[in-house]
Amino acid sequence: MAPPLRLNAVAFISPQNHPILIRTFEKGDELKYHYVAHTSLDVIEERSQSNGPTKSNDCYLGLLYAMDEIAAYGYITPLKMKIVIALPLTDSVVRDAEVIMTFKALHLAYYHASSNPFIRLHDTPAGVGSAKWKRFRRKVDEISRAVGGGSVPS
Amino acid sequence: MNSYPAELLVQLAPVMFVAGLDLPPAPSTTASTTPQSPGQTQTPPPAPTKTQDPFSSLVARLRDALQSQRKVAIWAPERTREFQMILVGKDVRFPPRKLVPPEDLAYASAHSPLSPLTHSSPLYPDGLIAPIWIRKHTALVPSVFVLFLRLFEAPVLHARSPLDPSDPEHERDKTEEERRRDTDLSAEVAARKKITNERGIKLTVVLLATRRMLDDPSLDSRLTFIRRQSGLDSRAALFVLSPVGTSELNDFARSLQDALYEPAVEYYTSHSKRVRRKRNRHSQSVSSYNPPPLVSMGVASTRPLRPEGWTVRYEYKMACFAEFRGEDEVALKHYQDAYATLMIMFGSTAILPPRTKRWAEAKVLADTINVKITKLYLYNHERSLALSHHNSHMRRFADFSRGWGIGEETFEYWSWMARQHRVLAELLEQGSNSSLTFPTNPPPSLTVGASSAGTPVELDAVRALGLNPSHALQHPGHYYYMAARCTEARRERFLANEKGISQGTNSAPGYANEKKVNHLTLILELYTKSYELFKKHSSTMSQGRLTLWIAYRIARTYYESEKFDIAIRFFERIAKTYRREKWKHMLRPLLSTWYACAQKLNDVELMATLLVEMIGYAQDVDESRTLQEDLLAILKNSVPVSAGKPLVVDLKESDPLLDTMLVFWTPEVRVGEEVAFQLSLATPTNMDLSALPIDSVTITFSDGYYPVVLQHSPPTDVQVADTVVRLVKVGKLVPEDEDEEPEEICADLRWKPGERLVVSGSISSEAPGLLTVVSITVVLAQNSWTIEMPHEPCVSHEISTLVPRWLTSLQPIRFLQLGRNDCSSVVVRHRPHELAVELSHQAPALLDEEYPIVIDITNVDERHLDVVVDVLLQPTEVDQAAQYIIFDDQRSSGLIKGIRLGTIAPGVSATKTLYLVGSGAPGDRMLDISVQSTSVQPGSTSTGDDDAEPRSSSSLSAHAAVDSCEKLQTIVIPTSGALTATYDVVYRRSKNAMPALADLSTVEDDFWDDSYGGVAVVTTRIECSAPCGLVIENLKLHRQDNPLAKVLDCSSDESNDDMFPDEYFPGDEFCNVSRISLSPREEQVLGEEKITGPGDYEVVWRRMLPAGGLGRQSTTRFALPTLMIPQDELIALLDVPSVAKLHVSTPIHLTVRNRHSSRSANVTVTLDLDLSDAFIAAGLRNGRLPILLPGSEEKLSWNLIPIECGHVKIPRIKVMDVRRAVLPSQGVGVPSTEVDVEGEAVKVVDVRADWNTARMQSAGDSVVAIPQQDGASTILVLP
Repeated sequence: MAPPLRLNAVAFISPQNHPILIRTFEKGDELKYHYVAHTSLDVIEERSQSNGPTKSNDCYLGLLYAMDEIAAYGYITPLKMKIVIALPLTDSVVRDAEVIMTFKALHLAYYHASSNPFIRLHDTPAGVGSAKWKRFRRKVDEISRAVGGGSVPS
Repeated sequence: MNSYPAELLVQLAPVMFVAGLDLPPAPSTTASTTPQSPGQTQTPPPAPTKTQDPFSSLVARLRDALQSQRKVAIWAPERTREFQMILVGKDVRFPPRKLVPPEDLAYASAHSPLSPLTHSSPLYPDGLIAPIWIRKHTALVPSVFVLFLRLFEAPVLHARSPLDPSDPEHERDKTEEERRRDTDLSAEVAARKKITNERGIKLTVVLLATRRMLDDPSLDSRLTFIRRQSGLDSRAALFVLSPVGTSELNDFARSLQDALYEPAVEYYTSHSKRVRRKRNRHSQSVSSYNPPPLVSMGVASTRPLRPEGWTVRYEYKMACFAEFRGEDEVALKHYQDAYATLMIMFGSTAILPPRTKRWAEAKVLADTINVKITKLYLYNHERSLALSHHNSHMRRFADFSRGWGIGEETFEYWSWMARQHRVLAELLEQGSNSSLTFPTNPPPSLTVGASSAGTPVELDAVRALGLNPSHALQHPGHYYYMAARCTEARRERFLANEKGISQGTNSAPGYANEKKVNHLTLILELYTKSYELFKKHSSTMSQGRLTLWIAYRIARTYYESEKFDIAIRFFERIAKTYRREKWKHMLRPLLSTWYACAQKLNDVELMATLLVEMIGYAQDVDESRTLQEDLLAILKNSVPVSAGKPLVVDLKESDPLLDTMLVFWTPEVRVGEEVAFQLSLATPTNMDLSALPIDSVTITFSDGYYPVVLQHSPPTDVQVADTVVRLVKVGKLVPEDEDEEPEEICADLRWKPGERLVVSGSISSEAPGLLTVVSITVVLAQNSWTIEMPHEPCVSHEISTLVPRWLTSLQPIRFLQLGRNDCSSVVVRHRPHELAVELSHQAPALLDEEYPIVIDITNVDERHLDVVVDVLLQPTEVDQAAQYIIFDDQRSSGLIKGIRLGTIAPGVSATKTLYLVGSGAPGDRMLDISVQSTSVQPGSTSTGDDDAEPRSSSSLSAHAAVDSCEKLQTIVIPTSGALTATYDVVYRRSKNAMPALADLSTVEDDFWDDSYGGVAVVTTRIECSAPCGLVIENLKLHRQDNPLAKVLDCSSDESNDDMFPDEYFPGDEFCNVSRISLSPREEQVLGEEKITGPGDYEVVWRRMLPAGGLGRQSTTRFALPTLMIPQDELIALLDVPSVAKLHVSTPIHLTVRNRHSSRSANVTVTLDLDLSDAFIAAGLRNGRLPILLPGSEEKLSWNLIPIECGHVKIPRIKVMDVRRAVLPSQGVGVPSTEVDVEGEAVKVVDVRADWNTARMQSAGDSVVAIPQQDGASTILVLP
């Protein structure tokens, strides 16, 4: 059966396509995941627009693309905040249910973090992702650990 | 793909040799007997232009048509029975099957010239399969041989007429000639047939003949002769073709292929069978085959092919033959078997020692088999299987490579990986040009209902669970990209190797070859391909971020290959998007590479620009310092290209150099008032700008002010220099229309980490609008350099903690939270107009009165004001209330708009009176009065009202610009009634007899029958209920007779002039009586309807004002009350005169009326004469009246002679309704023994005192009848 998921990176992207938080669980390759997150936006936009008005308000967008030993999966919240996770490309089936579960946990983490009354979301694009708010980062790291026992975040 | 032999990759199709189509003046090249290999596409020689012979043009067209039937391609999934046509010469020879001639004794044991067992073979002794074997089957040996030959036709004698007798001699000659030629032709065919038969190749002959020949009766016999003579098959072996057009030729080619496809398949099947036989024989012998001992490794070169190798060979051959036949599944199976066995061979270095020739060949074979398998999967739309096979191929060989010592650290490894990615990409690209589509891999939830057509069902089941991302087929751009990445890795390894060589270590194998490779060109080519494909496959609305990413890689490659100018162009474009979307982590490496490019090109201005931007993006203090040093070095050591002109670095989209924050003290200010502001310029804590030579900072406000210029001056006071927050006061801003330019202000313009400069000042405006800072320009100046950096107010780094706060104290530093969201601008508004609005009126208002409300507006402002008043009468909540307002000739029950009071000069007041009329019911009335004022210049007051109107309407759009003001006032006016009316109504029964049943006059229009309704007497009491005195000027009854009721007379009819006008004070009242005759119809009686009063009273009055005057004339109307229709059933009316004379007989009458609607009445009348009675009566004493039908009456008369004087009672008359008799059993306690039933007494009414009262106050409908004493009537008897 499929091995447990391992997250290489998680990216939260604002509705304006600004990065909120990009958390990498692989040492030394942070920049690559910025690119993965940014390029994923293309596919996310394409997919959410082509599917959006016709059917299903499902947030989960599935596999966006697989490239460079990375499989990028996408998720878009009803408020158009995007979450991208990068999984290492192994030769095994990635079950959608597991990915969706991970996404929901991440979404919830963001939701809880953004419910903080001291954050002024619209002032800075980074919002909860900025270095000032550590709880969100901690939560994301916890999720990564819980999902696949990923390595210690850098 | 070009790195593999084409033979091993192309899609195989049955091969057809076409001979006999040489062009008559054939150039020597086409005449050569060696057939063209399918790889070389030779352009057909130009068709002969001048030849008149239809056959030569036919041949030329045939060549074109046949050659265009099928193109050699790697991707050809369609299985239409197509042949690979190869044009050959007539005398083409096939390669020998074996080296020895068949006559030789050794023939049986000899092998094919390509067999590893043959010494001269390139495969000897242990080769697997060489491309030459495929070439043999695609180019040298056909499955079908088609021979085109010209059928002899005797020349036609032109002069011959059909009427001429046939020349028998000539005919005989002709036949003989034909026979001779046909025999020759048959011999030629037979010779060819012999050769093809040896190989099992089908031979088909196409005879070219003229159209005339087709109709010749002798053709059939000639054809039969030729076939017999040449030994051709009976089926599909002989065709005749006459010169036809191109489209028909294509049809011919099509039918030729259809006819010959089966023989071709048979041909390849027989080959397959042969190979299978060999394989089976071989696999039986394998069991007894002992693997050679490992010690023989040293002499590996002379070792024969291993059984695994034979298996690969046979499986591969069978796969190829199946492919020839178009049997994709069979081919796939055999290829897989061949591949699997090949893997076993690779698994052991004993079988395939690495880095040998055979090893390299086998590797190529494995790669190409992989491509074939992948391709066959893709033909069948099994995309994930295809990709998974390809991936596992790469993985396996990656593993093998490590074992072979060419692991990831070698460029060979990466070169091979790149090649695999590229082959896949090229295959997909070719496929996408025809039939291949790429799935988008959306999750199943997004594709509910959309069934993927090509996917088998079992794959869907797997898909439902999830997806193996590495098996998700994507468009070839991805694989080109991977190939480029691998090539980058290859280059990296190669460079490392080169370094190793320069340090004296051993060079890797293949280094010499690798050195010739231009890696960067290769990488660029791959990236460019990928870029194009990504562009092609991205949707139109996509922002192209993926392509930007590849463009970035391309730019980097250009940078590596030292094409800096091209790289810079890429960087410019990419940076735009990254800046806009604030992906600064990606921007930073881009900027540094860009900077490096600029350095190489020595473009100092670009370098300076980039450095400034990079300082803005600096991560920490050290980085910012280093970058500043670089910048300083540039500024010091170079001169700008465009000297004298400042270099503008626009930081609007990227991170600013300085964080800025603008705070106004109040959000709103009046015209002319000053508002204080503070502008903070700060550096975040992780940035040090102390070395930047900032010369000045220019702060530009919205239009109309001189900009504030801060000039740098080093701090003199040590104490001040140390503080984190510095304050600079700039005072009040100077508007531009003043001549005096403000001085430049000196300030310390060096920022250490976390330092903040607060510029504090004030600003006022003479015009309304929005005031803010438009731009803050930071100017660097050094030597001949001037760099301007415009900043926007309120931008900051992500890390910055700048919040809009007001600096209240420097020592200690204290800030005040302003508690507003947007402090960065201030709105300037006009001062409100000073208007005194006074509303005067005498509450309460009276109903029906035009109640005056005086609006008095006084201008206490200094401006001339144009005043317009709107009045809105709010809808009232009181029931039955009606109301309206009158204002300046306008009348409305709602809104009256735009009543102009004109321009009011300062100190002047204007007055208008508004009238409110309330009627119906008393209660509060509510009025909204809006006074709008617009300031006007005194000069414009002369303009008339006409042109002032459009100005005020247009001012709505530019409301903010026009100095206007609105004052709202709401007043509540209590309203009470002035007069109240109360009614008393009594009804009198009519004495008139009912009209007879057949009375014709009843049907006339003006017939008035009050016999039923009688007369209603209405007494109206009108009381003055107003809180003040009223003068009642007139009272009048307006008659509005209706068919049911009419006013007979009224007390006000008698003109009593001295009654009105008269003053009435609260509580005073007067009365009026009117009689109304009622004439209800029967149906109204039955329906118990009410009759509306036939008229109303109109009271005209005025209010007595406290000042002594009288108010406006008002009119109140009171409608006559609603009248009831009296309800009677059986009634007796007694008509008695009031006065009688003693001893003179006096008649009395009794009328018994049955007014029941349906029941007839049986009535007895008894006159009881008592001895004490004062009368002597003459008439019926006791009797029964005739039956009274409904609506009829009976009249009885008596003569009474009074015998006493005074008020005497008349004798008692008893009227009994027998029908209503009380049954004895129901007697009320009195046991009656009488048989004669008395019945119920009927009411006897004295018409003189018939007051049937009905109080009609407040529409009450309870009719209270006052019963009268029977027989209580009296007569005054006079002597």
